[in-house]
Amino acid sequence: MAAVFSRITLLLPLPLGYAVLALTLVKALRLDAASQRGWWLFGVVPLVVFLVGVGRVMFKPRPSWQGSIALDQFHGFHDRVTSALSFSQVPAAERTPLMQAAIEDGVALAAKLDPRRAVAIRVPRELGVALALLLGLAALSLLEVRHFRQLPPPPSFEPMVMSADDIDLFRDVAKELQAKNDDPNALIAVHRFNQLVEDIAEHRLDRHEVFQRMGDLERDLKGDLELDRDARDEGLKGLARELQKSGLSKAAATALDEKRLADAEKALRELAEKLKNKAGRPSAAELDKLRQALEKASQSSEERAKSIDQRRRELQEERKSLLKKKNDKADAGATPDLDKKLADNERRLEHLDREKNRAERSQKQMSELDKQLAQAARDLMRDAGQSAQDLEQGAQDINRMAKQETTEEQKQELLKKLQEMRELMRQQGKGGKDQMQRMQKFGQRARGQSGAGQGQPGDGQGEGQKGGKKDGPLRLGSGPGSVSIEIPVPQTGSGQGQGQPSGDKPGGSDPASGPSYGSGHDPNLAGNATDLKGKTTDVTAAGADTGQGAASSQVIYGAAERGFVGRGYKRVFTDYQTVAERALSQDEIPSGYRFYVRRYFQLIRPRE
Amino acid sequence: MTDAEQAREEVAEFQKRIGALREEIGRVIVGNRDVIDGVLSCMLGSSHALLEGVPGLGKTMLVRTLAGVLGLEFSRIQFTPDLMPADIIGTVVLEEGAGGARQLEFRRGPIFANIVLADEVNRATPKTQSALLEAMQEHRVTVGRTTHVIEEPYFVLATQNPLEMEGTYPLPEAQLDRFFYKLEVPFPSRDELHSIIDRTTSTQHAEVKRVLTRAQILEMQALVRRVPVARHVQDYAIRVLMATHPNGEEAPDLVKRFVRTGGSPRGAQAMLLGAKVRALFDGRFAASIDDVKATALAALRHRVLLSFEGEAEGVAPDRVINEILKKLPGSKE
Repeated sequence: MAAVFSRITLLLPLPLGYAVLALTLVKALRLDAASQRGWWLFGVVPLVVFLVGVGRVMFKPRPSWQGSIALDQFHGFHDRVTSALSFSQVPAAERTPLMQAAIEDGVALAAKLDPRRAVAIRVPRELGVALALLLGLAALSLLEVRHFRQLPPPPSFEPMVMSADDIDLFRDVAKELQAKNDDPNALIAVHRFNQLVEDIAEHRLDRHEVFQRMGDLERDLKGDLELDRDARDEGLKGLARELQKSGLSKAAATALDEKRLADAEKALRELAEKLKNKAGRPSAAELDKLRQALEKASQSSEERAKSIDQRRRELQEERKSLLKKKNDKADAGATPDLDKKLADNERRLEHLDREKNRAERSQKQMSELDKQLAQAARDLMRDAGQSAQDLEQGAQDINRMAKQETTEEQKQELLKKLQEMRELMRQQGKGGKDQMQRMQKFGQRARGQSGAGQGQPGDGQGEGQKGGKKDGPLRLGSGPGSVSIEIPVPQTGSGQGQGQPSGDKPGGSDPASGPSYGSGHDPNLAGNATDLKGKTTDVTAAGADTGQGAASSQVIYGAAERGFVGRGYKRVFTDYQTVAERALSQDEIPSGYRFYVRRYFQLIRPRE
Repeated sequence: MTDAEQAREEVAEFQKRIGALREEIGRVIVGNRDVIDGVLSCMLGSSHALLEGVPGLGKTMLVRTLAGVLGLEFSRIQFTPDLMPADIIGTVVLEEGAGGARQLEFRRGPIFANIVLADEVNRATPKTQSALLEAMQEHRVTVGRTTHVIEEPYFVLATQNPLEMEGTYPLPEAQLDRFFYKLEVPFPSRDELHSIIDRTTSTQHAEVKRVLTRAQILEMQALVRRVPVARHVQDYAIRVLMATHPNGEEAPDLVKRFVRTGGSPRGAQAMLLGAKVRALFDGRFAASIDDVKATALAALRHRVLLSFEGEAEGVAPDRVINEILKKLPGSKE
């Protein structure tokens, strides 16, 4: 036992020492799990050495009587106990009297033996090393090695910046759409668009949020458009189906079926006229058929909605029943059939929900028309004339529905503006801050504003237009690659003197500044001033006034110098834009270029 | 009375006799307890002892005293270079009888005694020394065609002076091996010298009385032989003996370096017999490892032959044996 203990304490420092070393390395080098694995696996070697070493001592054959000899030696018994034990193994018959006496002597001594003291397990010196290593290991495991990780910088909020000019543009667009629309859904969309523009103007949104909100708005608009269109088409088809049943309303039914709402309106008006006109009034049977058709047509949307509701209720009942069955069978384990049926039920319910939504929209859209048709059917029983009036009102409703298509067009327009806005922002993102600065300057000049206070001393880029020698031509935006739009600016003419002619002074509004010939002479020069011999006469030539205002070219030149303001410019712009839009819609122009054309016209649009 | 009780009584009686013997010897011999015990062990082990010591340490006196207390026939032979074998064995002489008849008669030499003191045995020639061989080993002497048995107990005590080596004939190994123990007689201490002076320079002459009979001695010798030895004790003695050999399994480096030849089996016999005697001295019934250790020096020091290197280095056999005893564990698997 003592030997085993001694060997344990002797060898224990080996695995402990290795563990301390490995842990130190792991913590000091901040090894990850994969790198640590090798070190810990190699630790098996000292562990095996420890186990084998201890095992060898534990299972090593011991000398005979080792324990009793140790006892005899400790007590000074001169091997009396050991000899007694040894003689006791001799067969009794072979024992001599002295052997027997020795055995009895040994037995008598046994009571005096004190094995605990005789073979005391002393604490080996190596135990201190093992304990020290153990403590070190514990201390190391408690040590926290700080891992300094470079944290990414906190996300900085970079607001999406749009030039004031563009913001004005989109504000105007929103106003225009708002004015044109009276559909609540469309108005909501316009309001959201307007809010988006305002948020951009107030720098409340970053690029990501702007694109996200544009995406949301676009998606909702598209969804609305599709739903409305589907619902209306469905309602009209229902009407057409019922009206087909009467020969009198067949023409209107065909037009409705083919979504020719104007024709349908016209057909209904004609039918109303026919009913009013007593001479060519249809027979009673035809009228009855018409009445039935009108009655059924007026109920088609409602019936459809009711039918959907009924189916939904049935499906919900089925779902309840399936869920109950599933709960009942929950203890029995998996129920694949029930799960499949439930999934199918859920899918059908979702489909019906969509259909219901569509039916409700359709019902809403057709509600007035349905009422008129129902009234017409009722009145037809009493008075055909009265029924004719109802039909005329129905025709008006169809007219209204046709107008609703215009609302959709407005939504489409809004969608288009959103797409333009997105493209604009994308381009702006590519151009960076320089382009933004250019656009801001351009916006100011387009409004005819001066560059007051915005001059940059010494940069050679005066804001003024007078002289314009350092300005160069106006350059509108920087398209992809080398695409750019230049607006030729005359080098002479009457400028407004609002810039920095020499480009080395802050912009100002002094009309006298700017390059011009001087008077007097350099006092350093000797001699008289040059005296020309020839005499010249100043002649002023003026064009004849036609009374029709300035020519387009003059207006454009003026706009280039003063900004895109004024009624004359507005007229010229409208002419050009109309032509351009027509060309865009009729000619085959690569879709990517359409943006640049439209963008060009956006930029040169008349400012208030 | 059981056998064990009887054995216990025998041992007690042995112890009592030894005590009386020691007491009686102690009246003449001052100190030298180990030497006295060694000599007694040799005698009780039915063997012989070689005493080595400078002159004047009382070696002869010890033997004479022993002979006196034992009441045994004692003879002393002073070995000299001209001493002939016949001088110690005896010789055949023509003797005329009372009737005038003459006949050859063997005259026994001094070797025919119970206790023989071979004083300064190394001074005699090897021829004479070898004359002791048969008597010591066989306890009989052959002269001509007649073998003469020496009466038991037979105990030869030889002495030799380790200093005066000139003109001496060191005992051959074969003869040394026949001595049970080689006992070194130490110089007495100051107190012991006082006692020696007091006893030898006054008119007082201590007379020893006989305390044991011959039969009792033989009885005691027989008891010694009957003392059992446990296997591990015997094994230890054998291991000690084997460790004296340079090629022995457990031989320490000192042995391997300085020993030419280790002890013969007689060495182990001497250790174990001596251990048995010691056990009986202590009133124990079996010999122990401690007993073996106590006897090892006396039993082996004349049997371990040093190599030339050992001789040159002045390594004493006692140092070699002590090294073995120190290194050898009490037990081995």
